[in-house]
Amino acid sequence: MKKLLNPMINKIPQIGLIFIFLLIQVYCDLTLPQYTADIVNIGIQNTDFQFIIDTGLIMLLMVAISAFATVGVSFFASRVASGYAKDLRKIIYEKVLKFSNHELNEISRSSLITRTTNDVNQIQGVLGFIFTTLIFAPLLGIGSIIKVFELQTNLSWIILVNFIVIIILLVIVMVKVIPYFKIIQEIMDSINKTAREILIGIPVIKAFVRQDFEEKKFQKVNKDFYDVNIHVFKTMLVMLPLITLMMNLMVVLILYFGAYDAINNGVLTGDIIAFIQYATMLVTSFLMIGGFFIMLPRILVSGRRISEVLNTKLTITDGELTEISQNPTIEFKNVSYRYPGSEKETLKDINFSLKPGKTTAIIGGTGSGKSTILNLIPRLQDPSSGEILIDGINIKDYNLKSLRDKISFTPQKAILFQGDVKSNMQIGKNDASDDEIRKALKLAQVDFVENLAEEVTQGGSNFSGGQKQRLSIARAIINRHEFYLFDDCFSALDMNTERKIKDNLKDLKDSSILIVSQRISTIMDADEILVIDNGEIVDRGTHNKLLESCDIYQEIAKIQIDYMEALS
Amino acid sequence: MSPRPLKRQPPEKPVNNKKAIMNILTLLKDHKFRLTLTIISAVISTAFTIIAPLLIGQATTLIYDGTNKLIHHTGSIDFNSLTHILIIVAILYVVSSLFSYLQSIFLVEVTTKISYDLRERLIDKILHLPMEKVEENKRGDILSRVTNDVDSLQNGITQSFIQLTTAIITLIGVFIMMLSINVWMTLATIILVPIAFLLMRFMTRYSQKYFLRQLEYKGSLNGQVEETFTGHDIIRAFNQEEISMDKFESDNEKWFSHEWKSQFYSSLNGPLMNFISNFTYVVVAVLGAVFVLQKAIAVGDILAFFQYTQSFNRPIQQITRVMNQIQTAMAASERIFEFLELEDEENLSDKELNEIKEGITFENVSFSYTPNEKIIKDLSFDVKKGEKVAIVGETGAGKTTIVKLLMRFYDINSGSIKIDGVDIEKYDKNSLRSHIGMVLQDSWLFSDTISNNIRYGNLDAADDEVIDAASQVYADNFIRQLSDGYESELNEDTDNISHGQKQLLTIARTILSKKEVLILDEATSSVDTRTEKLIQKAMDKLMENKTSFIIAHRLSTIRNADNIIVIEDGEIIEQGTHDELLKLNGYYYNTLKAQSKE
Repeated sequence: MKKLLNPMINKIPQIGLIFIFLLIQVYCDLTLPQYTADIVNIGIQNTDFQFIIDTGLIMLLMVAISAFATVGVSFFASRVASGYAKDLRKIIYEKVLKFSNHELNEISRSSLITRTTNDVNQIQGVLGFIFTTLIFAPLLGIGSIIKVFELQTNLSWIILVNFIVIIILLVIVMVKVIPYFKIIQEIMDSINKTAREILIGIPVIKAFVRQDFEEKKFQKVNKDFYDVNIHVFKTMLVMLPLITLMMNLMVVLILYFGAYDAINNGVLTGDIIAFIQYATMLVTSFLMIGGFFIMLPRILVSGRRISEVLNTKLTITDGELTEISQNPTIEFKNVSYRYPGSEKETLKDINFSLKPGKTTAIIGGTGSGKSTILNLIPRLQDPSSGEILIDGINIKDYNLKSLRDKISFTPQKAILFQGDVKSNMQIGKNDASDDEIRKALKLAQVDFVENLAEEVTQGGSNFSGGQKQRLSIARAIINRHEFYLFDDCFSALDMNTERKIKDNLKDLKDSSILIVSQRISTIMDADEILVIDNGEIVDRGTHNKLLESCDIYQEIAKIQIDYMEALS
Repeated sequence: MSPRPLKRQPPEKPVNNKKAIMNILTLLKDHKFRLTLTIISAVISTAFTIIAPLLIGQATTLIYDGTNKLIHHTGSIDFNSLTHILIIVAILYVVSSLFSYLQSIFLVEVTTKISYDLRERLIDKILHLPMEKVEENKRGDILSRVTNDVDSLQNGITQSFIQLTTAIITLIGVFIMMLSINVWMTLATIILVPIAFLLMRFMTRYSQKYFLRQLEYKGSLNGQVEETFTGHDIIRAFNQEEISMDKFESDNEKWFSHEWKSQFYSSLNGPLMNFISNFTYVVVAVLGAVFVLQKAIAVGDILAFFQYTQSFNRPIQQITRVMNQIQTAMAASERIFEFLELEDEENLSDKELNEIKEGITFENVSFSYTPNEKIIKDLSFDVKKGEKVAIVGETGAGKTTIVKLLMRFYDINSGSIKIDGVDIEKYDKNSLRSHIGMVLQDSWLFSDTISNNIRYGNLDAADDEVIDAASQVYADNFIRQLSDGYESELNEDTDNISHGQKQLLTIARTILSKKEVLILDEATSSVDTRTEKLIQKAMDKLMENKTSFIIAHRLSTIRNADNIIVIEDGEIIEQGTHDELLKLNGYYYNTLKAQSKE
């Protein structure tokens, strides 16, 4: 949680101002009952009109000062809360940008998004309230206590008794209710789950004519939810009437015992009136603090989720070497990779090298570990053991930026960013000119973009899968790199387009190319094909060699070979 | 945590106020009895709370007068009367609290029941909507109606009902009590109320302006976060971190500059209320004292007035707050009812389809989702009982649509689909569907045990029937290897077994259901080679002696089909057996040739 407080440090002066303004407000507000007592005890008792009017004017002055102070509190509290949220978002974003795939998978991307947005909002939403309550309530409480003692009555014990009774009541209710909160949350989740399942499964439900069955299933969860809710409400709702009752009875007790005090100790009626008001304030301030503690768990959940992000240890460290030779070679030496917490190795003992001017291909089924190999090269994640070398030096020793500058990476899922075609292409090369962009688009067979200013909506949702793949290929080839990594990025393209793009890729012949695919046609002309199964390289060689020697390769190729036989 | 749309909409307002209110009233109508009890309890509880301060004022006056007598040695406090009054006050308070509790209990029973019913109706609606309506709406959107909207409607009704009734009764009651003490003092304190009310409305309007503006920036910032985190690989691989950070910071800054103002202006209601109540306090103290001197009121009445003005200010605050809640609730009810008012899937006939004797015929079938764009054009073909039809064509050619038409998920525009010469529209939809089994690529299973998932095909199946079905599709093996075997739970996203294994389970489910007609969508590349082989064998098993429609990708399936239909843009361009089609030397031949060249 410590990291959560960091953005608060530079706001201490503003928080100080909030404190001062609140102090002023509490002071002014607390004087009012005192003045009232004076009006009753002196003004009315002595029939002194002038005194009443004068006191009234002083009271108005206090009211004005108090109003001014509260506006000040609002002003600074808003600024601090919003500013804190702003800074918190910034440090989370900054931190997440440094994450590797390892960390991203551990927390999951969608969860990181909600943590940066919703969770921060949650905290911010109550932050202003926390400031005012956490400072205001104790100030009001302490102030009221001082005032109560100044009045010198013998009635203070009534407040104490009242306190104790309220605490006991609160504890009883909370003990009864709190276990149910978790249950409610669980049932709520299962209502969500059931509804979602039904929605997704509609075709199957209709096909099996299971509408009534599903309805009954939902009814059961729904009924559980209803029952628990009613139970919890019935218990919870006791609280407010009871607390109100306690506060009201306190007034009755004060009056009763106040009367004795008036006779025995000469306590003035005005003071009893003031005492009632201070007592009420005291209990209110206490309830405010109680309310804060009820709210606390909700923020703590968000707080914990955020600090988990901030405390995540980065697994990728930057190296120092910035010099990388022209046309270098990449070599995998006994590389293994194991997902955190997984028993099975995703990659086992991988050895191969990428040489300038050569095309290497990787083929294998889903989950065989193909993409992981690709991700290791630009250090999106690091191997668990073994090393990857560029010119004999471990890539961990190179500066990340320099390393990634050498590499062009096209992931399996074509990802575009909001903006226009131009801005998306410039991700590949920051200063790319329009001509360069058009050339790259042409090479990647992007024939559907007329204007470079054409809009790209969030996630590129205004383009089809195949169009996105072509755009992301264009982005990858716009700049010259030493290594081109293509991760199954031709999958949504028809054979014809794919062949044309591959012909165009021959322009990159000085560099080394690594292609991952499930299609034989994509990779059959590679200089070396690695066949991966269950994370291991089971065979390697050219297409013709593998057709003869490798069972798995044959199996994968069979469907296409089948076509050939069918025609003969 | 379930995914929710990140872009928040501006504070919601119902489109049609009148209709939204009518909807809510209809919901309340069924609970008249309890609602009447709620209102009665509210009246009793509030009335008693209102009477009490008057008595407290009298008690104070007794003490004041008593002390004065004591000073002038003319007597003392009248303890008998004092005790008498205070006991009455205590009883009033106890009764008031009791009824205040009853009031909320009655109300909560009503609103919880309402939301229970609404959830039920919504699910019922989802289950009976026509397919295209389900597909038209975004999933998250429908779900949030079942959960969020029902919730905020329940909250809205509960809060607004309690607070509004109490607030209104309090306002009226307190006004009467204050008048009974002193007219002028009442007027002096009441005059501030409309002013406060107007000021607060003005303030809310003003802050709304900033609120809406900051929402825009918030949306754009959230969008950026979503995009960056999803495209994180690209950001890193292309060294875009700094550029991304700069853009984030500038958006973040923009949001902040509007956000804090929005917060500030909307939080000003607090200080305003504080000022009003303090100001009233002073007026009561000073004016009260003057009136006491003029013998117009007693000392204790000042205390009573303090309490009354306090309970006068609170309802006003409540009403403003409740107004917002009511609006949210109305907007929620609007979305709920908009969904509930959608037409159910039509099922005009209740004629049962018995055994299929001859076969299925598509006659000049045309279909389109939208009037302009025909998905299926003039499609005709024949399937005899026990035959296998392979439907071949590129993605988007309309293969899946054809089989969905057979299931009557959509209704065709022209032409007809006949079973044994009778138009399928003549049959009860459910009866028709119970004859057809469907195995699609996106295999839907629910989070329950494996055995219950298979049993979905036949709810009455015994355990050994389930196991038998699983064995037939080669799933028995992997199921037994799971920690709890057939009783293993599939988790919510059913990702604890592989995609291929899921498909095996859906095939087992269909085997168990013993359907006469089958619709199968063959696996494509997303499954590894070995599992694919298993699935293939399982599907072959399933199809034995069944009339089958196969959306086919594998050559062996296609070659063995009794009839191959080649679809392009919703039209049949070639049909016949494998050999016949090869002889045609047309599309089929050329596609095979082109692919074999690769």
